[in-house]
Amino acid sequence: MTETDVRSMDLRPRPEPNETNAFFWDAAAGHQLVLQRCDACSQFQYPPDVACVHCQCTELTPTEMSGRATLYSYAVVDRLFHVGFASVLPYVVGLAELDEQAGLRMLTNIVDTRPEEVQIGMPLEVCFEDRGEITLPQFRPRGDA
Amino acid sequence: MSSLSRDVAIAGLGYSAISRAGTPDPRQLTFDAVSAALRDAGLRGADVDGIFEYKFGPDSPTAQETARMIGAPDLAAFADIMASGPSGLASALVGVMAVASGVCETVVVFRCLTREAGYMGGVSEGGERLADQSQYLVPYGYLGGIIVDIALAKRRWLAQYGRTEEDFGRLAINARRWSALNPRAVLRDPLTMDDYLSSKTIADPLRLLDCDYPVNGAVATVITTAERARDLAQPLVTVDSMSYGTGGEVDWVFGSDFLYGGTIPCAERMWARSSVTAADVDVAQVYDGFTMVTAQWIEALGFCGIGEFGDWIGDGSRIGPGGDLPMNTSGGQLAEGRLHGISFLNEAVAQLRGQADQRQVTGAEVAVVASGLYPQCGAMVLTTG
Repeated sequence: MTETDVRSMDLRPRPEPNETNAFFWDAAAGHQLVLQRCDACSQFQYPPDVACVHCQCTELTPTEMSGRATLYSYAVVDRLFHVGFASVLPYVVGLAELDEQAGLRMLTNIVDTRPEEVQIGMPLEVCFEDRGEITLPQFRPRGDA
Repeated sequence: MSSLSRDVAIAGLGYSAISRAGTPDPRQLTFDAVSAALRDAGLRGADVDGIFEYKFGPDSPTAQETARMIGAPDLAAFADIMASGPSGLASALVGVMAVASGVCETVVVFRCLTREAGYMGGVSEGGERLADQSQYLVPYGYLGGIIVDIALAKRRWLAQYGRTEEDFGRLAINARRWSALNPRAVLRDPLTMDDYLSSKTIADPLRLLDCDYPVNGAVATVITTAERARDLAQPLVTVDSMSYGTGGEVDWVFGSDFLYGGTIPCAERMWARSSVTAADVDVAQVYDGFTMVTAQWIEALGFCGIGEFGDWIGDGSRIGPGGDLPMNTSGGQLAEGRLHGISFLNEAVAQLRGQADQRQVTGAEVAVVASGLYPQCGAMVLTTG
């Protein structure tokens, strides 16, 4: 590996998909937000798992979400905990509650805005951040709201 | 008769020296704390048939290594409980179960931390591949252990209940009121609300003075049957009831109750098994790894209603010296130092024995100890006699 390769590498930790969650990360790569929906109780869940956390049914159908959400809470990180995040400080970590189901939350960054403009309760929409071989679902303020 | 199948007593309390600097040998710290607890009980290593340690970080000696150091002849049960328990109190909860069940007669439990091992703010080198559940958190910069989780919870709490940070500041100030009376404590200078509100943010809105203070130190406790403890060196203190709690859809971030984790079901189960109620508690020792965790526990334990902590705490005097519910009378992890759970148990027992010196709560007969947070909750009710 040349010195240039090392410098251009994104050092932020990245997911290593497996057979349970590959559908989620593959969908993100295609810029779709897809979560498991239980065939028995119709509830969504996140993160992906091998059984429904609500009723333990093992029949779970990957289902595209609207991507609409509300900000449940957020924190602003402005100190260096990990070398891979040095160039993105300060950043906002939030919990986005998806419109489809009360209590269904994803941990996300709140992107395309400044920390001082972020507020609990603000409407959000999903967007996607390509980081080399992996794509992360992210959330940003929703324009139409 | 307690709710346990055999009555269990907390018979010995021990501490090593607690320091803010240097690199003491964790074996020395553990040996000092365990030896002190055995001496306090009037026992020797030869009397010990169970050892349970709460561990994270590789630096503390294992249960077996400790058995060797203290000369325990053989262990009927032992474990090094990794960091998924209700903080260091996990070791004592397991010790109580081991004695109550009849598997062990006399158990030593301990927690040994050094600043280096306890430090969660290190900068990683980068490039990690995450195959476990952290893949849904860490790529988003959820770093520094659970700091971001607690920051998210603090902001949500303040918004949901329409409160201000001063509520949590009362807890930081309380810690120093008590630690001024505790020679073991590492932070003994008084704090003002201005000090709290101007302390730097670790992950906004979490402040430095919301967080406990890392130290080098070890704490140990001797647990045996009430029957045996009656013949030992100290006034009898017994375990009335205990429970763990995880909350539903168990998870640090995605659990069903983001504001309280497992504190509410843990406390409800403990009280359902107890011979006393929250109204009977004379002194409370409640986990303060972060101030908002103490607030969660205060509500979960029923000292006030859910969402009422801010009104209940008032100017903070009710949990200070002379207050109606003296709390964290050692200064807790915020001020005595981050000794992780067992230190709350030992302080509660010292209070019930009437041995808490300048910090003594007059006539204390019932104590509650609550430790841990989110999916890692545990609590105990202790009584005299």
